[in-house]
Amino acid sequence: MDLILQFCMNGLMLGMMYALVAVGFTLFFGVLDVIVFSHGDTVMIGSFAGLAMYWWLGSYYPELAVFWMTLWVLLAAVAVVALLGMLTADAMIVPLRKGPPLNTLLATMMLGTVLRESIRLFFPDGSNPQTFPGLLPDWSWQSGNLNLRFDNIVLFCSGACIIALVHLVINRTRLGMAIRAVAQDEEAAQLMGVNFRFIVLATFALGSSVAAFAGVMNGMYYNEINFGVGLLLGAIGFSSAVIGGLGNVYGAILGGFIFAFLQTIGVVVMPFASAYKDVFAFGAVILLMAWRPTGLIAEPASKRV
Amino acid sequence: MSVKREKAGFEPLYIDNVYVAYGKADVLSDVSMEILPGRITCLLGGNGAGKSTLIRAILGLTPPRQGSIAFDGVDITHEAPHRIVARGIACIPEGRRIFPKMSVYENLLMGAYQEKSRARIRATLEKVYALFPRLEERSRQLAGTMSGGEQAMVSIGRGLMRAPKLLVIDEPSLGLSPALVNENFRIIRKICEEGTAVFLVEQNVRQTLAIAHYGYVLSQGRVVAGGTAEDLKKAEQVQKAYFG
Ligand SMILES: Nc1ncnc2c1ncn2[C@@H]1O[C@H](COP(=O)(O)OP(=O)(O)O)[C@@H](O)[C@H]1O
Ligand SMILES: [Mg+2]
Repeated sequence: MDLILQFCMNGLMLGMMYALVAVGFTLFFGVLDVIVFSHGDTVMIGSFAGLAMYWWLGSYYPELAVFWMTLWVLLAAVAVVALLGMLTADAMIVPLRKGPPLNTLLATMMLGTVLRESIRLFFPDGSNPQTFPGLLPDWSWQSGNLNLRFDNIVLFCSGACIIALVHLVINRTRLGMAIRAVAQDEEAAQLMGVNFRFIVLATFALGSSVAAFAGVMNGMYYNEINFGVGLLLGAIGFSSAVIGGLGNVYGAILGGFIFAFLQTIGVVVMPFASAYKDVFAFGAVILLMAWRPTGLIAEPASKRV
Repeated sequence: MSVKREKAGFEPLYIDNVYVAYGKADVLSDVSMEILPGRITCLLGGNGAGKSTLIRAILGLTPPRQGSIAFDGVDITHEAPHRIVARGIACIPEGRRIFPKMSVYENLLMGAYQEKSRARIRATLEKVYALFPRLEERSRQLAGTMSGGEQAMVSIGRGLMRAPKLLVIDEPSLGLSPALVNENFRIIRKICEEGTAVFLVEQNVRQTLAIAHYGYVLSQGRVVAGGTAEDLKKAEQVQKAYFG
């Protein structure tokens, strides 16, 4: 029983992280109809920006309270990643829309490689895994086999708050209404007076900020980051978004948790080979796709003008 | 027909020697027009004549490659659509183009996207609901699930939400029942009587010329006739453009 609870807890943590990454994929697809394959590496950049901020604070303000330290690390990650996302959209993706969509896919994949290699080559000792600080106090509760970590609970709740915030922005604000309008009919939205470029930038800032949080969360959860973490996180986030039905924010969140659930199942049913949990999860995704080609929360393709 | 000049006060929309192309081939060549405040100006022409393309050019979606467009004394030829809209031009596009996954209410709010005053939004909303009581009954319904006629109401209502100086309407009666078409023309006339200039694109020649003050005829991307509605009724180019 304890063990099952423990698996659930871990699964929920991972699910939250994947959901946060998947939201970006789905938002970007919504407004620009492109898959931004560099998104996973953007998450990785977020982790490293947070780490750099931590080092900097550590050498100049070592006395800083844990709360402020965490906040600054998060802020650094969000700021760097939001800027990177906006730059990617404005300098690369929007101009490339004049050409065939395949060019955009290729360009974003190349950008991902450039980001990965830049960290590997230019970040101090970037080719080796880096220890990521736990930041939060390492309190935990132990009962039988169940180990509840305080920092995990905080991370999970913050993630839930961020998802709620995204929901509010999308559904309750003027900006969110414009984002949805652009996603449904870009030209009609412009005819209503929506500034297309501004909405694209805002969407990329939003999706990337959420991913930056996932990056920091990833670092704090595993206490280690390396230049390649974005590759797997990107593949998982993309799969999650597709499972949920691309373009649908709630689908992406659901997809993230489903993927984590699949990984957890993989560990539970094959405890002798937990290293294969990703193989199991991605295999299950392929089956899911065969069963529901348009995603779990299906939208008729004709609705996308 | 009484025209409230004070609200309509803008300098005419001047379209001057405009050339528009998608890719290489010119769709519009040397088009010049004038759309006057407080009046209904119509644009007639068969399928593929370039009417919608001209509207796209006016609103900045497909900027002209040559020529210029000026509204209210300002050159808007290469402005972004949202800036052009901000100058007081609203558009009811061809094919309705409502936001299918938004409620009727949200669709109408999108029409007032640039309006900051909540009080003014509420006031225009009341007006639109008075014009189309059906929209008020269905305000929570997703627009994509409404019938064709109801979607047309959403599209027209949305175009009125900003109380524009100039309303550009592209084939509003396409696909509507005869009763709804008549209702449509009645509403367009009313919009004009309240002081909004209307640029109406239509294929329904008789009814359009009955309510329009001025008109132009477009054929294969060129203006082949223009003048008062009375003149156009007699002009043989109109007959030619439509019947042979
Ligand atoms: N996006 C486009 N790309 C290429 N050609 C187009 C496009 N839109 C319209 N055209 C062409 O431009 C011409 C005029 O079209 P349009 O302005 O829609 O005519 P109308 O509204 O008068 O029926 C047509 O020959 C059409 O095929
Ligand atoms: Mg047309």
